[in-house]
Amino acid sequence: MLVTIDGKKIKVNKKCTILELATKNGIKIPTLCYHPDLRSDGKCGVCVVEVNGKLMTSCNNDISDGMIIQTTNERIIKQRKINAQLVGCNFEDEEEFRKWLKLSNMPDIDELKFKPHASQELDDSSHDIVMDFKNCVLCGRCIQKCRDIQTVNAICYKGRANATVVTKSLGKKLIDTNCVGCGQCSLVCPTNAIREKESYKEIKKLLKDPKKHIIAQTAPSIRVALGEEFGLEAGISVTGQMVSALKKVGFKKVFDTNFGADLTIMEEASELIERIRKNKDLPLITSCCPAWINFIETFYPEYLNHLSSCKSPHQMFGALIKTYYAQKTKINPRDIIVVSIMPCTAKKYESCREEMSVGGIRDVDFVITTRECAKLIKSFNIDLKLEKKMQFDNPMGPGSGGGAIFASSGGVMESAIRTAHYFLTGKEYSAIDFKVLRGNSGFREASIKIGNKTLNLAIIHSLKNARKILEILKKTRHKYHFIEIMACPGGCIGGGGQPKPTSKEIIKKRAKASYEEDKSLEFRQAHKNPNIIKVYMEFLGKPLGKLSKKLLHTKYSDKSKCGL
Amino acid sequence: MQIKRKTNFENFKVAKKLSPEALIKKVEKSGLMGRGGANFPTGLKWKMSRPAKYLICNADESEPGRFKDKFVLDNNPEIVIEGINIAMYALSTKQCFFYLREEFKKYKEKLEKIIKEKSKYKITIVIGAGSYICGEETAILNSIEGKRAETRHKPPYPSERGLYDEKTCVNNIETLARIPLIFEDDFDNELTLFSVSGDVQSPGVYEERQGITLKYLAEKVGAIDPYAIFFGASGGCIPFQQDLILSYKEMEKTGNFFQTGIMFFNNEKSVPDICRSIIQFFNEENCGKCLPCREGNFRLLQLFQVILKRKWTKEEFQIIQDLIDFVPNGSQCGLGKSSTIALKSAIKYFKNEFDKLIE
Repeated sequence: MLVTIDGKKIKVNKKCTILELATKNGIKIPTLCYHPDLRSDGKCGVCVVEVNGKLMTSCNNDISDGMIIQTTNERIIKQRKINAQLVGCNFEDEEEFRKWLKLSNMPDIDELKFKPHASQELDDSSHDIVMDFKNCVLCGRCIQKCRDIQTVNAICYKGRANATVVTKSLGKKLIDTNCVGCGQCSLVCPTNAIREKESYKEIKKLLKDPKKHIIAQTAPSIRVALGEEFGLEAGISVTGQMVSALKKVGFKKVFDTNFGADLTIMEEASELIERIRKNKDLPLITSCCPAWINFIETFYPEYLNHLSSCKSPHQMFGALIKTYYAQKTKINPRDIIVVSIMPCTAKKYESCREEMSVGGIRDVDFVITTRECAKLIKSFNIDLKLEKKMQFDNPMGPGSGGGAIFASSGGVMESAIRTAHYFLTGKEYSAIDFKVLRGNSGFREASIKIGNKTLNLAIIHSLKNARKILEILKKTRHKYHFIEIMACPGGCIGGGGQPKPTSKEIIKKRAKASYEEDKSLEFRQAHKNPNIIKVYMEFLGKPLGKLSKKLLHTKYSDKSKCGL
Repeated sequence: MQIKRKTNFENFKVAKKLSPEALIKKVEKSGLMGRGGANFPTGLKWKMSRPAKYLICNADESEPGRFKDKFVLDNNPEIVIEGINIAMYALSTKQCFFYLREEFKKYKEKLEKIIKEKSKYKITIVIGAGSYICGEETAILNSIEGKRAETRHKPPYPSERGLYDEKTCVNNIETLARIPLIFEDDFDNELTLFSVSGDVQSPGVYEERQGITLKYLAEKVGAIDPYAIFFGASGGCIPFQQDLILSYKEMEKTGNFFQTGIMFFNNEKSVPDICRSIIQFFNEENCGKCLPCREGNFRLLQLFQVILKRKWTKEEFQIIQDLIDFVPNGSQCGLGKSSTIALKSAIKYFKNEFDKLIE
């Protein structure tokens, strides 16, 4: 096919949309409702171009032979200016809107001529997500995520024409819907109409209190994404700068959740071995992902016995900070505040669960997302890029590479298998990088031989695939031994609390950075981490021991909501 | 009226003597054009859809000023069922959905009786939920599937991927009613049902050839002081001209879009007022999917409500004109693209009326 775009003749072999062709050739067409991972419907009209003299949206129209495309001219600019007027009143504030105009290559406009129209009440009933639809431009990306990719259907359209709104299913409050808090809706919302329930301002206040011992712990997936919020390209790890910035902000200690991930692996690998030995409650399903936990409690409570009873890494770590660390440093655990910086919105609710406290003391007091973390750092006028690199605080020691790869889908499985192999055979697995377990597909299967036993494994991300595998389990419960499930596409690096934009391409880059970190670490298996060995020796005893069970394990309950 | 003729399924028997291919050729040769409004050759549509998994009979008539589908349902539902049978034979289709707008549900029983007694094929009646957009050939698919009545992007056309992603043929009910007539000796492909309303002595449905003049129609229906003519809500408007030829081809030359729903207005009526009703209609009846159509029509309505209290400022009138150009360019479906045709032509032909409303 021969296509002319802005006067340049281009030969094209593969079918693609006008927008894709333009992007490939370095021409920037403004977009609003377009998202590379989602279906394009041409809803917002922002991406109009002129094709053979006719205006049409470029995101959902394919190129054809002989097309003459003009991506900008007076007529298009006029069209976009009116479009900007109609969109402008929906943005959270004018500053955000102006920023979008600039970033997306839209023409600038003078003053906003229209006022936003009637909208729904702000809904902050959920622990994780706030929905403020006065800013909604009805791009429908959130609904595509919630309905098509997560199969949760917590939000939907209501009404038609000018009365069309995005709203919570059946007109309920968000907390009463089936929402699992994964936050994928907030990750794709172009106007922040859907956002995480922020708590960084509260933390900012607490940071001024000298009596409080405030500790930050950062998830493995934060360091490979946070830089994007400060203008760095995706896939650049900013571990050292992040630690330094958080110290400047006022955190007494900055810990690495990788250590918690190592604990999880010790416990979960032991659990796997025990279940295989007893041939009970197989397959074992991972429990690190709180949105997945909400999902199974809501939609498939009959499978709760398959879940690992392990708390998620940051909760384990929190519990240990409030006990072991408190004892060692002689600080009253009531004066310790643990702030988890997570790629996740669902962890906000997780940390409030009753099961996630010991003796009335919560394991984790606050959870903030990567985006909130960036806002917190920026509010101190700190530019992350310029920070000197610093090491994590080291009271319990650094985590292993096995913890680092928790960030990507498949990481928990890989680390658990590294350790389970050692526990079962007394030997390390010959090839440490389990390439068979890595990949981008949301539904991966593999078989691995440990000793004389073959384990059937499955690695799942995004909840539509979780639903798929649970339906398979209904028919053949014994097909698998171990299943890893992450609610967000790509795992935590594609989490609902990660920087915007997040797309498949960006997720790949973040994953690469986290696997590189694993390789660079001295210890790559949780059970080899001397600090982990020390904690068990000094304090916890052994995996699945009495104290471990009390501090590091949890239980689940049926939360299915009848009638849905 | 040919449309009222009782053919008693005799023509279906004749049609079945032909092979489906020959039958489609015959329909192509007859020159029958779709009567849903787009004037697409019926034979060609069948050729493209065959073998179709589904046939849809579209009786979601809801264009303002058009009521000819109702006329067919009142006067000759048998011929529609016969037409569907012929179409299903030609398209090798096993399932037809007969889509009735919600307000037509009273015909369901009558139709089901005819289907039970006469039809050789499975025809299922589907009742809509009262949305104008469901008459659009892709929104009707979503509606039948039980989804939100939004239009789909074309391509793929329903003939390639339609209902439940299968090849589907969507025909208007009048088109299907005319299929059996093709086998009659006096078949005339120009005969069309005109719905006439407004300031006339005898409003109603008239079967006339396309190509008649406006004068002829005005005399026939007893138009009283005709001043402005509106072709439905989406067809545009013109000042009354005696020699205007009513056909798709001729009307295209005027920049308007021919609709067989013709509304006469006398000079006591205000064109901007009529325009406001039209915007109000589209503001309530668009599907809400595309921002240009949804927000554009909403802002247009807001601006047209201004003149109920005061005159427009020059700036406001400029925004109106900008929006009129803007809405069709950014919208995906026929509704969005035609929602401002009437306004555009009204401002062009009745400029003096609008000028009076500007400061």
